[in-house]
Amino acid sequence: MDRRTVLMALASLAAGAAAPAAALPQIDPEGARRIGQAYLDAHPGRRLEAGRLQADLLADGWTPEAAARLRTRVAADFRAGRLFVHRGWWLSDTEGRLFALAALTPG
Amino acid sequence: MPFIDARDLPGDSEIVADLIVIGGGLAGLALARQWAGSRRSVAVLESGGKAFDPATQDLYRGEGSMRGPGGEARPFGDYVHQSRRRMLGGSGMVWGGKCVALDPADFAQRGWVPGSGWPVSRAQMQPYYDRASDLLEIPRFPAGETDLEIEGRPALVIDGRRRFFSAARHYSKLSGGVDRARYDRWRFAPAEAANITVYLNANVTELKLRADRQGLERLDVATLEGRRHTARGQTYVLATGGIENARLLLASNSVAKAGVGNDADLVGRHFQGHSVFLVNDLARGRATSAYFSAGGNPLRLYTDGVRGLSHCVFAPTLAGQRGRRAGNATITLVPPPSKGPPDPERQALEQLADRLDGGGGAGEVGCFFMTEHMPNPESRVTLGGASDALGLPRVKLEWVWSEADFRSLESTVAAFGRALGEAGLGRLSFPADRSAFLAMAAGSSSRHHMGTTRMHRDPAKGVVDEHGRVHGVSNLYVAGSSVFPTSGIGNPTLTLLAMTMRLSDHLKTRMKEAA
Repeated sequence: MDRRTVLMALASLAAGAAAPAAALPQIDPEGARRIGQAYLDAHPGRRLEAGRLQADLLADGWTPEAAARLRTRVAADFRAGRLFVHRGWWLSDTEGRLFALAALTPG
Repeated sequence: MPFIDARDLPGDSEIVADLIVIGGGLAGLALARQWAGSRRSVAVLESGGKAFDPATQDLYRGEGSMRGPGGEARPFGDYVHQSRRRMLGGSGMVWGGKCVALDPADFAQRGWVPGSGWPVSRAQMQPYYDRASDLLEIPRFPAGETDLEIEGRPALVIDGRRRFFSAARHYSKLSGGVDRARYDRWRFAPAEAANITVYLNANVTELKLRADRQGLERLDVATLEGRRHTARGQTYVLATGGIENARLLLASNSVAKAGVGNDADLVGRHFQGHSVFLVNDLARGRATSAYFSAGGNPLRLYTDGVRGLSHCVFAPTLAGQRGRRAGNATITLVPPPSKGPPDPERQALEQLADRLDGGGGAGEVGCFFMTEHMPNPESRVTLGGASDALGLPRVKLEWVWSEADFRSLESTVAAFGRALGEAGLGRLSFPADRSAFLAMAAGSSSRHHMGTTRMHRDPAKGVVDEHGRVHGVSNLYVAGSSVFPTSGIGNPTLTLLAMTMRLSDHLKTRMKEAA
């Protein structure tokens, strides 16, 4: 899976994987890469590899259930204080990992 | 009675009235109006005239500094001069008209906020808030932590109101800064009552205690031209503002060396003010802002404040404050900041938030935070070394933010960011850390001066009692925001007027009994 596919898949989350990803606005690839790299830099001790992240975030692949699961996980992160603060933006750890996945995936 | 200019009175005149109000600002004039048509004679002693006079305003000059918990201090001298107005109508001449009822939490005893707790509850204040709202010709405020829909603009419920709610703000036109003609009618009106005399250019230079120190004997009055007068009343109300009330009590030291009402060394302490905390560095893509990704809410209820319309801010509930052991705060939304250079990272995180939260939100808005300045005895008004044209020591203000204040701000930023994200409504940006807080505060301080004659039933913990009477001085009361034990995040005018209504009722009962 290349970065473009990852980003299009993320962009398709709102409508589910069955929606034509290309018809939805994409997530800015350069921005996603930069945030992802910042997440990786902020967590040097973690074993953050594309395969591991994909397995962690999208164990069953890009399915319609992935969106709901990720939303639940993001909410749980905010509730539990698992955060990634990037340039003042308060993001969930899961969002940081999604961006990291984009950064680790070949462009 | 017509206005009387103290400069035109023969020297050594004695002004006599049942009730003498020192200060013709919003509090003093509102109090006097409550007595219009009564059988009691009322004298209002106002330092200034109807028009602004630089020489009179100069009496407000003094020293000032703002200090943070690390000890770093910033010069703040102009603030004590620029943040108030010494003339008939007082700082109401430049007031923006924003009206806020303090939250129930502000009146509560909060164990994690030392010095918190008013001797009156928010519910008990409701009738006085209603009267003050009527006076200011604004809608009345509900008593609780209530999300409001105002004029068809619905509130955004963030977390079921557990931690944050939408607190209303209204604007009054009864302000010299908004509608000068209307305010002129209001500030001149007390003098139309047969039993009220308003003395202009009448500076009170000392609250003269009786030899037994249990009450005031008289007031010493002076004009800038050198005339000296006295004023005697049955009851006196000090209403010269949150800084000047303390200054005059401290400077009235010919009988009690520590000043009037200062046996517990509390006069001038616990000064509280309000500052705005925001970043607006668009060139570098740094701004306090929020991205609302979902909710389908246009947020006009929150951003319309900049247009002078009734609006709401987000505020932590009492339960929310308790859970974080933090003080009160507000988050105010404003229309989106101007676009800076292209920012791919912002684009990406907003786009991902859209996907995760469902999209359909209001998009980007600017925002700023305000945090409660908690009661702190080191934050204080004292007498400086220099004297003014009347021979009174000039004021010295040391505005001190504590570790708890800044920790509370950080906690509120985090809690709001987390609440937005958890609710799937959006994301918050606050691109600053504590090292920038003091500069932010010093650069955006409001004209709210509170706490320097704080109210408490216990004379060891407050300057005035639950009615506003100075502890140990039987016939001296204080009106205005200096009596606030805590300051919340509300513009203080509505609350100080509500407290003035309450004081007036008390005085009517007490003076009737005395008669």
